[in-house]
Amino acid sequence: MSLKPRQVDFNATWGAIRDTIRGVITLDHVPRTTWNDRFSDVYSLCVAHPEPLADKLYAETKKYLIDHVAQLLRKVQEDGDQNLVKNYFHYWSQYSVGSEYLHSLYLYLNQQHIKVQKMSDAEIIYGIVDPSCTSQGDQMEIGELALQVWQSNMIYPLGQRLVTLLLEAIDLDRAGQPPTIPLDAVRGTILSFVEVQVYKKKSQLQLYVELFEGRFLNASGEHFKRDAALLLQERDVSLYMERVKAKIEEELYRARKFLHASSLQKVAHRCEQHMVAEHLQFLYSECQNMVKYEKKKDLSNMYDLLKSVPNALIVLVDTVFDHIKNQGLSAIHNLQGDSVHINFVENLLTVYEKYKELIKEVFKSDQNFMGALDKACNSVINHRPNEGRSPCRSPELLAKYCDTLLKKSSKGISESEVDEKLTKSIIIFKYIDDKDVFQKFYSRSLAKRLIHQQTQSMDAEEAMINRLKQACGYEFTSKLHRMFTDMSVSSDLNNKFQEFTKQEDIDLGINFGIYVLQAGAWPLGQAVVTPFALPQQLEKSVQMFETFYHNRFNGRKLTWLHHLCQAELKLGYLRKTYVVTVQTFQMAILLLFEKSDSLSCKEIRETLQLNSEQFKRHAISLVESKLLLSDTEELDENETNLRLNLDYSNKRTKFRITAAIQKETPHEVEQTINSVEEDRKMYLQAAIVRIMKSRKVLKHNLLIQEVYAQSKVSFVPSIQLIKKCIESLIDKQYIERTPYSSEEYSYVA
Amino acid sequence: MFTKVAMADENDNERMDGDNQKLEKMFTLKKWNAVAMWSWDVECDTCAICRVQVMDACLRCQAESKKDSYGKQDCVVVWGECNHSFHYCCMSLWVKQNNRCPLCQQEWSIQRMGK
Ligand SMILES: [Zn+2]
Ligand SMILES: [Zn+2]
Ligand SMILES: [Zn+2]
Repeated sequence: MSLKPRQVDFNATWGAIRDTIRGVITLDHVPRTTWNDRFSDVYSLCVAHPEPLADKLYAETKKYLIDHVAQLLRKVQEDGDQNLVKNYFHYWSQYSVGSEYLHSLYLYLNQQHIKVQKMSDAEIIYGIVDPSCTSQGDQMEIGELALQVWQSNMIYPLGQRLVTLLLEAIDLDRAGQPPTIPLDAVRGTILSFVEVQVYKKKSQLQLYVELFEGRFLNASGEHFKRDAALLLQERDVSLYMERVKAKIEEELYRARKFLHASSLQKVAHRCEQHMVAEHLQFLYSECQNMVKYEKKKDLSNMYDLLKSVPNALIVLVDTVFDHIKNQGLSAIHNLQGDSVHINFVENLLTVYEKYKELIKEVFKSDQNFMGALDKACNSVINHRPNEGRSPCRSPELLAKYCDTLLKKSSKGISESEVDEKLTKSIIIFKYIDDKDVFQKFYSRSLAKRLIHQQTQSMDAEEAMINRLKQACGYEFTSKLHRMFTDMSVSSDLNNKFQEFTKQEDIDLGINFGIYVLQAGAWPLGQAVVTPFALPQQLEKSVQMFETFYHNRFNGRKLTWLHHLCQAELKLGYLRKTYVVTVQTFQMAILLLFEKSDSLSCKEIRETLQLNSEQFKRHAISLVESKLLLSDTEELDENETNLRLNLDYSNKRTKFRITAAIQKETPHEVEQTINSVEEDRKMYLQAAIVRIMKSRKVLKHNLLIQEVYAQSKVSFVPSIQLIKKCIESLIDKQYIERTPYSSEEYSYVA
Repeated sequence: MFTKVAMADENDNERMDGDNQKLEKMFTLKKWNAVAMWSWDVECDTCAICRVQVMDACLRCQAESKKDSYGKQDCVVVWGECNHSFHYCCMSLWVKQNNRCPLCQQEWSIQRMGK
């Protein structure tokens, strides 16, 4: 073959081409040599001399295809409606493949003649040019032309009839009856509406949607309505949901079998609309019961069905919320006994975990339900009994729970178990609104653990504080950290003091150790220092340490917290030798019996100058421990005589009289709660100063908003309290009202 | 912690007995773990300038909530010759405007600083 342009006899060449494309388009056998010759013929017509004959070739080819499809249309209709779909599909299968071959045969025409005329793809895709002008006005590539001819000359005249038959076939399938049209013909015909538009750059599905899908969905919708009405007659929500779910599955399966993938969601949506959305009240009627009895299968079905309908879940979510809340409240209702704090936390965790698991299993951890769980936990944990008149005890109980775990002697629990329980306690902690109240109680019990050396493990203590810090931020735990700092500073001081006594050659006569705590950092209360005449054995230690301390620090004073001091006493007057750990006042009382076996309470009190409350508390604890014997049933701070119990015995040779130290007085709890109010004011004032310092000028409402947002991590402040704090900062001249507006403040540097 | 620090040999206690060595004591104080609290040695707990306790950091320092070294804030106390005391931070801002003690109006001069 020659590539040189030359004169060509169009009619002869076209005649040869036409004979060949008849074979190509009907998938008849075309010998390789013939194919190659026609391929060159297309070329030579396109480059013909003196005038290229491409346009003429295009016009003839189009005319040929139109004639061919017109013939096929007649053949398709030969048996009337009887085999219409089957025939259509048969010829479509042939024609669509044939047209691809044809497209290849016309490669030169497509690439050199037509592409050049066409706009660039990009121009069409980005909509700069109306794509319709390329497919209609101008010439198309031959493959596209062939499909376009099919669409205009086969589908347009036949489409509605075809669709009617296709819908009948699908209905037959729904009814479970044997097909009268082969399934592949049904599917192939439906898909031909998409495939015929494969060359389109945009909305390839347009024909499919307009011709077929719309009618299909409407017909299906009617079917679903009828189905729903039938199922509703059973009046059984549980069964109804099962059927509807199965129905949706079945329809999706059918859609996959027959339709283009883009229809799947639309079919499901129609089904949901007519079988779910239009019958919500019916479904809701069983909601209460299903939730109340936690019928997982039903709830899971209900969820699957409702989630597809906008806003339909709300009723179910609310019902689940109420249920969890009720379960939570009853889990902590009327707890009694010594382990209220343990029951409280662990019962709540059980409820939390149970419903978290249920939501995961039944509602696939849907955010709506996780939100309901959060809301329910929040309202249970911050619940105030007696219609809101009593304070919420969660902060106190949770702190006590942590204390129990962190204290020595949490018997029978392994370290990893303790760790796990503490980790879980954070779940409850996060729901607490008044985190600052928790912090108060926590720091008080931490103080006791540290001072009385009751801490099980410093690692566990620190891990817990880190958890709190993670949940609430640095500020929340900074006071707790200061307590730890004091502990290590004290350890250092003890070493230094020991060196000091060695250097100065001082003999204290006892084994002395001390914790020096920074006032304010420790929640020990202010008015706790009570009068006490120090036993002579301790005088030197106190004096020497004071001297040592004042040499090191400037402007500080030390207050000895005797009620927190502990002593180890060796008892040498009994059959066995015992070592007993006692509080300082207890020790002082016992030491008086060195010189006398029996003393009156009056004498003891006067010697030690203890107030009656302190005296009674510690004397009673010694009587209860049986180290001392009382000659009256009820201890009277004047009349009663106390005797040393010379027959005392104990299985242990080392023991501790703890009662007096560790009993929690209701007074302490009250004090703790009251101190919160003051701290909140301070916290809010600091927040206001911080915000105003960075903003300089701020409107009243914005300031309130910011303060509110910042303090939420620790507690929920009342707007009233924030306003009070603003007023008090105006008084102290940290901020002032701007001259322009009384509703605006500015920072005073 | 300090419990590990051996303060004195246990036998030291017995030595105290002096002449009564043969007589075993009924009670022997082996160990005393004391607890004391330190605070600034001030007449008034509250700083008259910011009205926050002097043991706590002043309001401005709290607002800045310094995040260094475990919450220990370097907001110390200062005493004037008149023996009145304030946060050092508060007083340094005060004297820029008025070099008199806000409580007694005496000319302000520093007597000592807390350490
Ligand atoms: Zn101040
Ligand atoms: Zn300061
Ligand atoms: Zn003064």
